Amino acid sequence: MNQEQTSTMNYIVEQISIKNQLHSKKITKNLAKFDEAYFKRANDFLKRYATLLQNEGKTLDYSIDCYLQMIADVNYESVQFLQTGEYTSKSFDEVNQRVYNNPSVMEYYMHGLLLSQFLWTHHYDILLYFNKIINQNAAHINNYLEVGGGHGLYISEAIGIIGDKANYDLVDISKSSLEIAKKMISNDKVNYMLTDVFEYFPENKYDFITMGEVLEHVEDPVSLLKKLHTLLSENGKLYITTPTNAPAIDHIYLFKNADDIRKVIHEAGFNIENEFCIYSEDMPVEKAEKYKVSMMYAGVLTKK
Amino acid sequence: MERNEILKQVNAIFVDILDNETLVLSDSTTANDVEDWDSLTHIHLVVAIEKGFGIRFTSQEIQSWNNIGELVDCIASKK
Repeated sequence: MNQEQTSTMNYIVEQISIKNQLHSKKITKNLAKFDEAYFKRANDFLKRYATLLQNEGKTLDYSIDCYLQMIADVNYESVQFLQTGEYTSKSFDEVNQRVYNNPSVMEYYMHGLLLSQFLWTHHYDILLYFNKIINQNAAHINNYLEVGGGHGLYISEAIGIIGDKANYDLVDISKSSLEIAKKMISNDKVNYMLTDVFEYFPENKYDFITMGEVLEHVEDPVSLLKKLHTLLSENGKLYITTPTNAPAIDHIYLFKNADDIRKVIHEAGFNIENEFCIYSEDMPVEKAEKYKVSMMYAGVLTKK
Repeated sequence: MERNEILKQVNAIFVDILDNETLVLSDSTTANDVEDWDSLTHIHLVVAIEKGFGIRFTSQEIQSWNNIGELVDCIASKK
């Protein structure tokens, strides 16, 4: 990796070690296992992110503080989760009031999530899995939809692989999330739609739908998957990710294990064509289970 | 509760959660001195300390301790 690639990451790691010694141990361990390809992707992403920050008159230091505030939230939510076995938020209205309709929280939360994309090991492994799935299906994708686009990383990846032949739509319920996606996606092929997916009735069905880390944010994941079922073509594929045991200020639906997720998928009328599971901490399975470490589930679903 | 007694109990909790029988904590011990004390195990230590001492920490407190001495002081202030 070159100097520029290491320097931005080094700066982030150095600042985290100054401000949060405990968290820096995890980050240092995470980054040690990565190769040159990771740092290249991380750098491309950070470059786009740096432009976004600059346009908003903000600095990387600001973003690091946002990230550490998000980590503080996650830590507190984790303590509550281990005490009670439940997430603290129970309804969408509660999360709406606490997070989505709370600009000061949304601000640091969105920036924290953006930075976490390349600091958390499992996010990168999931991105590589997504890349593999898109490569396998690219020839059959002419109409692509992403629900809850967030940082825009996945749809950018899909465009890079599938190319200009496809139509790309992105639906998000959050204005601030959609604005960030617009700034992070350096491509004018994407049609952005600010709407609740339940209120979305497009003319054409989609060959491929991506919905990353959304199911845990809703009260009824089966209804959401059933809605996506109506948007998918008969031979289309739905790619989803969702975590188990992942306390956060905006998580509502608790999946305790991969079987909980599979149950919801089957109930909504889907088969699982392929799946990939990875713990959020790089450690032996027994230890991950002992510490109730969150596991990210990724699945490629087809209509039954 | 005596400060030394709190430190002794905290030491026992660290030994249990981190599976390290040889661990001896002092006021000046930091996360850099204890290999397995990281952000993940910290959460489990906090939960065990809350249960063991019958106290609750705030979100700010969980992030604030720079060493074991500060953690012990925080527990002492709640007893």
